[in-house]
Amino acid sequence: MAAGVLFSVSAMGASDQSAQLDRQLGLELPAYYAIPASRRRDSRFERFQSLAQQWRAETQWLSSSTDSAMHPAYQAIIGLGEAALPLILEELRLRPEHWFWALKAISNEDPVVPRDRGSIQKMRQAWLRWGEAKGLVSIP
Amino acid sequence: MIQPWIAQLRTPFPGVTTENCLPTSPCDVRYNCIAWAAEDSERWWWPDANRQYYWPAGIPREETMEAFERAYGMLGYNERCDTSLEPGKCKVAIYADANRKPTHAARQLPSGWWASKLGTAIDIHHELSALEGPAYGKVVIVLARPIH
Repeated sequence: MAAGVLFSVSAMGASDQSAQLDRQLGLELPAYYAIPASRRRDSRFERFQSLAQQWRAETQWLSSSTDSAMHPAYQAIIGLGEAALPLILEELRLRPEHWFWALKAISNEDPVVPRDRGSIQKMRQAWLRWGEAKGLVSIP
Repeated sequence: MIQPWIAQLRTPFPGVTTENCLPTSPCDVRYNCIAWAAEDSERWWWPDANRQYYWPAGIPREETMEAFERAYGMLGYNERCDTSLEPGKCKVAIYADANRKPTHAARQLPSGWWASKLGTAIDIHHELSALEGPAYGKVVIVLARPIH
């Protein structure tokens, strides 16, 4: 019912720009806005945590960072796009883990200097500083 | 009753038993088996095409036996050998899958057992054959260097 009301309002009052945005995002906007923003974030957070847990459990024996990053759950996290960056960085803030491939794949950046490659603590610090500079994570 | 660590290892490593394997550390994501075999517990070694992890300078960043052999060769492991315990020699064993893609490395201990780091998880001491199976494949090459 609520979505239907929103659809009516949207259909009547939508500007050309909002219609264009609708097409670009590929979202069902009335349904999207019918869900409270807090619940949308929780849903994304829960999906991220579920994928992260699956990735950890199924790759913990792997030494190959390539095979680990190619795991379907890790690829699904990369598929979340820029929305995943704050979630990944917060996870990295909490504990050192191999999120570097995903961060580089999503952001197309790499703040780790060549001499620190492989040094997990230094890689972690470089990415957290990068995230803080972008306003994506807060480091106490 | 099976100990919890054995139960957890049995799925990826069906050959592991309490007689051929002993856990020696808690989990640690900072280094992997390739580093641990090279006696480096500070870095994660891997020749990833993304160039994010440590790999010795001058060695191709390829997931091939040749690249891994050359990487250990830079540390003095230049002699191909068998898995026996030989006085005066230190050995590393490289495991690979059916396509000869390296999956794991272990370093021989003075007792004749081998030291391994399992991915982001624990260190173990073990018999070499204990880790052969679906996860790591088989030992393909063993390399030796003189003990200095």
